[in-house]
Amino acid sequence: MQYSCSLDSDGLIDLALNKYFANVDKKNLDAVLNCFHDNAMMTVQTAFAQHVGKQNIKRMFTDFMGAYDAIVHRDFTCTVDAANGRIAASFIAELTQADGKRTFLENTNFWRVRDDKFQEVYIYMSGENPLV
Amino acid sequence: MSDFPYEYYVDIVTKRYFHGVDNFDMDMVLGCFHPDAALREMTSNTLHDGLDQIRNMFVGLFDHHSRIWHGNFVHTVDAERQAICSQFSVEVTAKESGELLRYENCNRFYLEDGKFKRVFVYMSGENLLK
Repeated sequence: MQYSCSLDSDGLIDLALNKYFANVDKKNLDAVLNCFHDNAMMTVQTAFAQHVGKQNIKRMFTDFMGAYDAIVHRDFTCTVDAANGRIAASFIAELTQADGKRTFLENTNFWRVRDDKFQEVYIYMSGENPLV
Repeated sequence: MSDFPYEYYVDIVTKRYFHGVDNFDMDMVLGCFHPDAALREMTSNTLHDGLDQIRNMFVGLFDHHSRIWHGNFVHTVDAERQAICSQFSVEVTAKESGELLRYENCNRFYLEDGKFKRVFVYMSGENLLK
């Protein structure tokens, strides 16, 4: 599906890195969910897991944020296709549990943006899926 | 800024690289890479460093399958950063067992001077690119 996007290249990067990932790391659930359309779809492609609609995405993030004491996404490399409202980013996800155990993942996300929010998100993970 | 337009990135990925893979055309495939290119399969953390190792990987892939198909592409193209990230489906048929396997994968390609310098592969199932 090709969507109409109102964001330019800088706007797409700002949505993905600042409005989305920075708020995931701060566990600002409302700000994270504000990046998604109500009927958005989030797919962890490497695990064949799908979260359809904002309520299901909210449930997934509530569990994810509760499962880790610290969530850090860093070392982003962005690929931006502003003409088509698409952005991809590779990054390291560093997840720390309450007992100190840390998980490092080298993931890639693809976002398809309708207007100024996520309509479709695809995640490819280097390890086990924590977004369940 | 890259000297190559948007469509160059789509064409090298679909009309040269994956077309070459699907038709078992080693020269066409390897012609897309720099001699010192690296291809890393992320889901199994397998690195193929340099054209010889990349060739060996494709020799294995071609030897073990009677059919390879890549399609359903969605590309994220960034000519300014000389990069293209592609999502796609893969179907392969094992030569010995005849088993058909389907994957939903993505690749990130980073180019220099119009050829692949670094390629990162994510697979939805067991790593085929051994």
